[in-house]
Amino acid sequence: MRAEFKVPGGKLLAAETEVEDGRLVRVKITGDFFMHPEEAIEGLENALTGIPANAIEDAVQGFFRDNPVDLLGASPGDFIRVLEMSLSSS
Amino acid sequence: MRETWRLIDMRVEDAYTQMGIDEAIAYARVKKGTHNTIRLYRWNPSAVSVGYFQSLRDEVDLEACRRLGVDVIRRITGGGAVFHDYEGEITYSLVAPDDDPKIPRDILSSYKLICGCLINGLRSLGLDAQFKPINDITTGGRKISGNAQTRRYGVVLQHGTVLVDCDVRKVFTVLKVSDTKISDKMIRAAEERVTSIRRELGRHVSFDEARRALISGFEEGLEISLEPGELTAYEEGLMEKFRERYRSREWIFRR
Repeated sequence: MRAEFKVPGGKLLAAETEVEDGRLVRVKITGDFFMHPEEAIEGLENALTGIPANAIEDAVQGFFRDNPVDLLGASPGDFIRVLEMSLSSS
Repeated sequence: MRETWRLIDMRVEDAYTQMGIDEAIAYARVKKGTHNTIRLYRWNPSAVSVGYFQSLRDEVDLEACRRLGVDVIRRITGGGAVFHDYEGEITYSLVAPDDDPKIPRDILSSYKLICGCLINGLRSLGLDAQFKPINDITTGGRKISGNAQTRRYGVVLQHGTVLVDCDVRKVFTVLKVSDTKISDKMIRAAEERVTSIRRELGRHVSFDEARRALISGFEEGLEISLEPGELTAYEEGLMEKFRERYRSREWIFRR
């Protein structure tokens, strides 16, 4: 459901997810990190919505590979980690 | 001959107007060929701003803000929640094209450069200030300034705060730091992490003295002359448009 993760030497990340029939139906990622352009966060959430819950890693890596996004205070791996943590917290 | 940038000096406005002005200056800079700009300002009424990516309900005690008459706003920049105390802080903003030779393209390097201007100002007041990556300035290990940057409209917009005075108890009242009751122990712990110009120098530094130090710090750090100016009519019009978005519940509660 919800998980928080403080990136060592970086920022706080939180993820809220809802899974139905093995798929992500709702994804919200919040925190005090920096992402340029900022609107990419909505793009990432949209890219994750509807995918199988076990495909998070590929989807996040794919998103950051296909979109020119600058991250400060968190890495794609940190996003994967907090999203997967949120799945196991439910 | 030093390059001249525009200085918009100590305009006091509410949160929605201040964020509208920053965005209007950013939008107009490349589109209308306006000047590179430094602003210093204060928020009246005092306000809480949250970063673009933050959950408002996780960060802000909305009921306490309502009770105390503190405005709540979401920034277009990332980073953390800030209490902008009218009695305790000066905010600055900087707008320049993102290909300006004075501004590094690399975001972290540009934080370091712009924070370096504030550090010049703080050092001239007698504080031992340091840049703490990613986006903070500390003195004696305590945070005295937080900063946030966006790049859009072909510009760098960076804004941030400098604490002149800090009432930690007030900060804890409006920000959700914990579900537990605010304890003296928590207050003391926070006072270990955060400080202000007045506390560090042990004297009453006026807003005017702090303001003058920051202006000189920017002039020195960017090798520019700052010339006092106002918003153009175009920027004022844009600000009014942006202000409506900043005021809207849809924007404030977006995340």
